[in-house]
Amino acid sequence: MSQGLAGYIIRRLLWTVPVIVAISILVFLLLRLGPLDPVESILGQRYTEEGADRLREKYGYDRPVHIQYLKYVQNLFQGDLGVSTRHQNFTVAEVVIPKIRVSAGMGVMAMVLVFGLGVPAGVFAALRRGTFLDPLTIGFWLLIDSVPVLISAIWAQWLFALQFGWVDLTYGGVFHPNIILPVFVMSLPGVAGVARLMRASVIQVSTEDYVRTARSKGLREQTVVVSHVVRNALLPMITVIGLALPGIFAGALFTELLFGIPGIAREALQAVLAPDFDVVLGLVLFGSILFVFANILVDVAYGFIDPRIRLSAARGS
Amino acid sequence: MQAQVPALDFEESGFRPAPRFRILRELGHKKIAMVGIVIITIFYLFGIFSPWLATHDPNQQQLVVEARYAGPSSDHWFGTDRAGRDLYSRIVYAARTTLLFTLVVIVTGSFLIGLSLGLIAGYRGGWIDTLIMRVGEVLSSIPTLFLIIAISAAFRTRISDFVFTLKEDTFLGDDARAIVPFLIIVLASLPFAWFGSARIVRSQVLAIREQEYVLAAETIGVSTARLLARHIFPGVLPIFLVGLSASMAGIAFLEVALSYLGLGVDPATQSFGTLIFEAGRVRTFQQFPHVLMFSGIPLSLFFFSWTLLGDALVDVVEPRTYRR
Repeated sequence: MSQGLAGYIIRRLLWTVPVIVAISILVFLLLRLGPLDPVESILGQRYTEEGADRLREKYGYDRPVHIQYLKYVQNLFQGDLGVSTRHQNFTVAEVVIPKIRVSAGMGVMAMVLVFGLGVPAGVFAALRRGTFLDPLTIGFWLLIDSVPVLISAIWAQWLFALQFGWVDLTYGGVFHPNIILPVFVMSLPGVAGVARLMRASVIQVSTEDYVRTARSKGLREQTVVVSHVVRNALLPMITVIGLALPGIFAGALFTELLFGIPGIAREALQAVLAPDFDVVLGLVLFGSILFVFANILVDVAYGFIDPRIRLSAARGS
Repeated sequence: MQAQVPALDFEESGFRPAPRFRILRELGHKKIAMVGIVIITIFYLFGIFSPWLATHDPNQQQLVVEARYAGPSSDHWFGTDRAGRDLYSRIVYAARTTLLFTLVVIVTGSFLIGLSLGLIAGYRGGWIDTLIMRVGEVLSSIPTLFLIIAISAAFRTRISDFVFTLKEDTFLGDDARAIVPFLIIVLASLPFAWFGSARIVRSQVLAIREQEYVLAAETIGVSTARLLARHIFPGVLPIFLVGLSASMAGIAFLEVALSYLGLGVDPATQSFGTLIFEAGRVRTFQQFPHVLMFSGIPLSLFFFSWTLLGDALVDVVEPRTYRR
């Protein structure tokens, strides 16, 4: 059985290679063959034909697309992600890595917050099943989820910075207390999903035999809930970490824009609009690899939790 | 006197209504779902009848100081924005943009492409199944919003000539300026809009394909098209609708996000994205809260209603997992 799982993981990992290659070709072609021209935006007012040609030669944009792609891949294997045209004299790695740090820091905090609020909310709703408190709890978080960050960010800024004066709105680094407000704004929409899954999971576990056994041998209700129900209900929540990643990535864009945070989402947007080919490619590849591995993690975690899925996966799906 | 029609007693007669009516009926019993349906219906009615429900021309500017950022009044129900335009009329027309965008993307992306590819992949299997699912996996592994932004940005830069040609040489006339940007965001969204429903439909087809009535139909030589349409599609429809209503808010948000970033619909076409963008940042909100409030609340309620409806549909269609 465990051999089947190992084989499954290896097969999934091998499958990521063509996926990543396909994504890189797709995005590369979209950028190089599309009408966006980085040379034009570098030169701006100073645009001359000779100057443009010189720059095209410098960045290799004058060569055939497939040669450009192969060159890009060759450099990639040497750890060279290319150079930024928007931030002159900086390599992609120099531009991107500090931003990844910021986004990763915020992402981890957001994930902790989403689980810290979502799990108790889900348990509460499940335990109050049949009363109005259950739909009220879930409905409350769904309502929060429905307000786009574009709007909630402004409301939160007004309430907590201008009315209460608890925070101010300048960005002072990932570990500065001012980061609390943006992290809350980008996390709160995710709570509903976690709460809903946790609720379903608790309800599912409550019907298990071992819970009935625990009750019938006279354990206190609190003990049953905490150490039998909730502990087992938490297991499937591992998978949510993977599922929540894309959402946090998307919510991050408007949080970063409205709070002036130098994260990857804002950088990606500016790189697309500039355009800054190598930075876009680097960030898209980074994001895609993150997504693909998160998905594998989800499937493997499912396999660990539910042996039936492990079996069908071993047969190859 | 009218003759009394005796009420049919389904239980006693042993007759049970068809399953598709069961879903509608059970949905009717759910108050939360009904709230969602009512809000969505109102929203869409405003979208359909916006020319008649709007009180002003949404683009009519009043560039005198006292007419800008005016609060709600009997003339301007929701007040005016920074250019003195009537906010209520702009919101009513923004609902129309949302209606059109969700409708077009749902019909083409989820319904035409997603449903049919899901049916083919699930029923045919083999290499065509592998191909469809692998392409979908690749597309869904990319950070979607950014690729849509990239595609929209790429095609926006060169549209003005194209718009001019359309305006001069086709029947579109002045509408070309509104239609072309709209088509760009639809086309940019489509590659990413079909896979969710295709995957749901495929897995459901895999389950239904093994049912006896499908085997029976195959045995008596029913054509593939008829088999898919008459025997498999009805079984797939409920779960397809669940997936659809769950994805509606996300699809509608794409247009809002793109318009917010200035990559969406033409500025003269109203959109919640441009409305929210023009409502300004927090300082503007502090001074003139009505702009963001009136444009933000209907949009949030719209998203909320689709979520509620999706939730209720899951309950009705898949009662096993969420039984109370």
